[in-house]
Amino acid sequence: MKVLDGWIFDVYPAGQEMVVWVSDPEGRAHCLRDTFTPAFFVGGDPAELLAAAHFLVDQGWSVKPSRTKRTELFSGHTIGVLQVEVTNLNLFTIIFERLTRAKPRLGYYNGDISLPQMYFFARNAFPLAFCHFVLNGDNRILALEVDDSPWTLDYKLPPLKRMVIRLEGDAINPNHGYRAPLVVETEDATRELNGDDPRALLETLRDLLVRHDPDLIVTDWGDSFILPRLLQMSKKYNIPLPFNRDPSRPPQFHPPDSYFSYGRIVYKTAAQMLFGRWHIDRRNAFLTDDYELEGAFEIARLTQIPVQRVVRTSTGTGISAMEIATAYRRGVLVPWHKQEPEAWKSGLDLVRSDKGGLVYQPVLGLHEDVAEIDFISMYPSIMARLNVSPETVSCKCCPDNRVPEIGYSICKKRRGLVPETIEPLIRKRVEYKKRIREVPDGPEREIYRRRQSAHKWLLVTCFGYLGYKNARFGRIEAHEAVTAYGRECLLRAKEIAESRGFRVLHANVDSLWVQKRRTTKKHSDACPERIGREEYNALLNEITRVTCIPIALEGIYRWVAFLPSRQDERMSVANRYIGVFEEGEIKMRGIETRRRDTPPFVVVAQMEMLRVLASAESCEELKPLVPRVIEIACAYADALRSGQVPYQDLVITKRLSRDPMAYSKDTLLAIAAKEILGSGVELSPGGSIQYIITEEHAGAKCDRARPFVHYRGQEPYDAEKYIELLLRAVETVLTPLGIGRTQIDEWVKQGTGEAERAQRYLAKKKVEYWGPLFEFAERTKAATQ
Amino acid sequence: MGRTLPSFMQVILSEQASLAKFRRALRFEDQSALDDLFRMAHYHAAESAYASHALPFEVMLLAMLLEEHKVVLRLQRQIERLELSGEST
Repeated sequence: MKVLDGWIFDVYPAGQEMVVWVSDPEGRAHCLRDTFTPAFFVGGDPAELLAAAHFLVDQGWSVKPSRTKRTELFSGHTIGVLQVEVTNLNLFTIIFERLTRAKPRLGYYNGDISLPQMYFFARNAFPLAFCHFVLNGDNRILALEVDDSPWTLDYKLPPLKRMVIRLEGDAINPNHGYRAPLVVETEDATRELNGDDPRALLETLRDLLVRHDPDLIVTDWGDSFILPRLLQMSKKYNIPLPFNRDPSRPPQFHPPDSYFSYGRIVYKTAAQMLFGRWHIDRRNAFLTDDYELEGAFEIARLTQIPVQRVVRTSTGTGISAMEIATAYRRGVLVPWHKQEPEAWKSGLDLVRSDKGGLVYQPVLGLHEDVAEIDFISMYPSIMARLNVSPETVSCKCCPDNRVPEIGYSICKKRRGLVPETIEPLIRKRVEYKKRIREVPDGPEREIYRRRQSAHKWLLVTCFGYLGYKNARFGRIEAHEAVTAYGRECLLRAKEIAESRGFRVLHANVDSLWVQKRRTTKKHSDACPERIGREEYNALLNEITRVTCIPIALEGIYRWVAFLPSRQDERMSVANRYIGVFEEGEIKMRGIETRRRDTPPFVVVAQMEMLRVLASAESCEELKPLVPRVIEIACAYADALRSGQVPYQDLVITKRLSRDPMAYSKDTLLAIAAKEILGSGVELSPGGSIQYIITEEHAGAKCDRARPFVHYRGQEPYDAEKYIELLLRAVETVLTPLGIGRTQIDEWVKQGTGEAERAQRYLAKKKVEYWGPLFEFAERTKAATQ
Repeated sequence: MGRTLPSFMQVILSEQASLAKFRRALRFEDQSALDDLFRMAHYHAAESAYASHALPFEVMLLAMLLEEHKVVLRLQRQIERLELSGEST
């Protein structure tokens, strides 16, 4: 017998037991084994259950059926069920599926929870948990004590040896035809492996893997390109590559897939998962640097999903896993195919309930003395504080507790499963946010920040999952109850703000932009500066008290501009604005800089202009800055014309919404995609295409745009087109000052020397919007007083 | 996203589309005035959706009327101010 302390690194089934990889404090990996018997449950008529048990035994499968009692989610009643324990883990899914096919009328539970998760539930453990193990001679776990909690704020992680495998040079997608030598980075050195001699390359890589024995292999496009190619080569030349620590099995391959979700096509690339070692593809994960790994570790610890899976999961899987864990803890059955249908509604009920959050149209134009206040995690807070969960909505026992507007009752007697799951999550996030404010800037704070944003990711999806009909713990009525409470909170907040003399300029689901003259710094020169803050605090306190949902001050703006729609300059849109907070931080939504299809060159130019404008303390100080903005625009336009712009900065990234050949109109995207296709590369809908505009109006289509992978910088780019994109970005920034495109064109053409004219022009022009019928109304002196 | 009902924005657009013939027959200068009215309805889409009225077009008309009235009030105030300043000089 021996003891071992360490972190659970990886867990997967093998035969009748689970393989548990443990990393000890010295960074050594240990391969342990643990006997584990998972079970699924079957519900239904007792006679039919008996028949099912007989069927299982007759098939000669290695199962142990028995009778037991469990709680049913929706009714809350304890029901008699058949428990089926499966001793051979490899057969768990197969036996479950065969039984469901043979006896389709029975109710099935817990059958599609992944085995590593079930193992973690049974042992009360989680990935990267620090544990004490008692082992026998051949590394079998006799006892496991978890000395860690997913809810601790500070925890230690095992020391990880990492290896980076990527292609040399710019990060260009090799699936689109980019080729370069292989680069292998280890702690001590960076090596470039040339592919001229495949045998030598494979042997070197094999030696590196054996010698360094990394815990973690980080790649760029390793899922879709590098690992599959290397494994293919390894097979061809018969030189095995020990990517797995576990020599008994090959890496696990998941094929790619395109699917339709939330109105757009999503492309899910292939996945290469390792055993006893992690493979993380930076291009197929939500992380881009070391700190973001902190976020992935945090999610793995909270959701009990192994790290390699966590980095590749779609949003929603994480929160769903946590809800399953709560159910498991409570002895509640996890339905396999949900059978709870949507209740009948009348047409008018549907009009009343099928609404999302309230999204106002902002009052267009430039404003000052504005503050933004946001409800903190509004929907999750509503679920947690008001007990909204699929099984608590429309209960029969609490007719007095009604949801506003739609009138469903919410149970007050039973604590909902979803609220119980997310409440500690909200608390932990608040704690991390507090630490972020308290800890000085540095690596520690960055770690907290990453963990906090990982929580945000989990909390955002927990609401969506409540309304998704295929989600295990989803129910449309619960989703509607949450949005109804959300609208109520927002309207209460609006009313409270207005009763305190604020004007509501904009409101968007969980945030409000409120304006009150003489509350910000500038005006309080004569009186103490703190008055403004106090007034905001009083407002926030009252809203929190009345709605029960916490609300916080996002910031006070020096100035904020709500921008018009691109299609109609007289119409406002909810999510297009630029603002500068008192601390100087710029906040913007929906403008070029934030869009992924804007070339980096335009992003840099627009940011430079915004930084100039951000120095203005008030609306009045903005105008003198316009000539400098025009100067910047001219400098960038000159750089484009004279060909000084590096071509990497001109690349435009767009997502394919369909198969490239299915584009009937030859847009630039379609032209670039078809060229890539022509070079023998496969493309899938939802994948990204990068291209450079060479000559937008060329006669031959192939001359109009070229894919980035084929562009080597010798060909000319379409300077005029890029200037057009640049000027559009200039227009966005200057519209709030009443400066239109014609004026900008004139100034840019006449060069920087004429900038003084701009000053004169602006001195004359004083503008203001009013209502949707806003003309640029002349502001008379009297109107402002 | 999986909605059963169209959003109020979509309702406005479909009402606007159903009046395409009316708009076509209007004189050019009247067409842009009609477009203005629909902009007004757009501006109050959030409030209109919240109202959950069985006849959305009525709510749209009310939103148009409301914005019209705001213009009237504003102009009225402006006239009063001008008259006052005229008297004082």
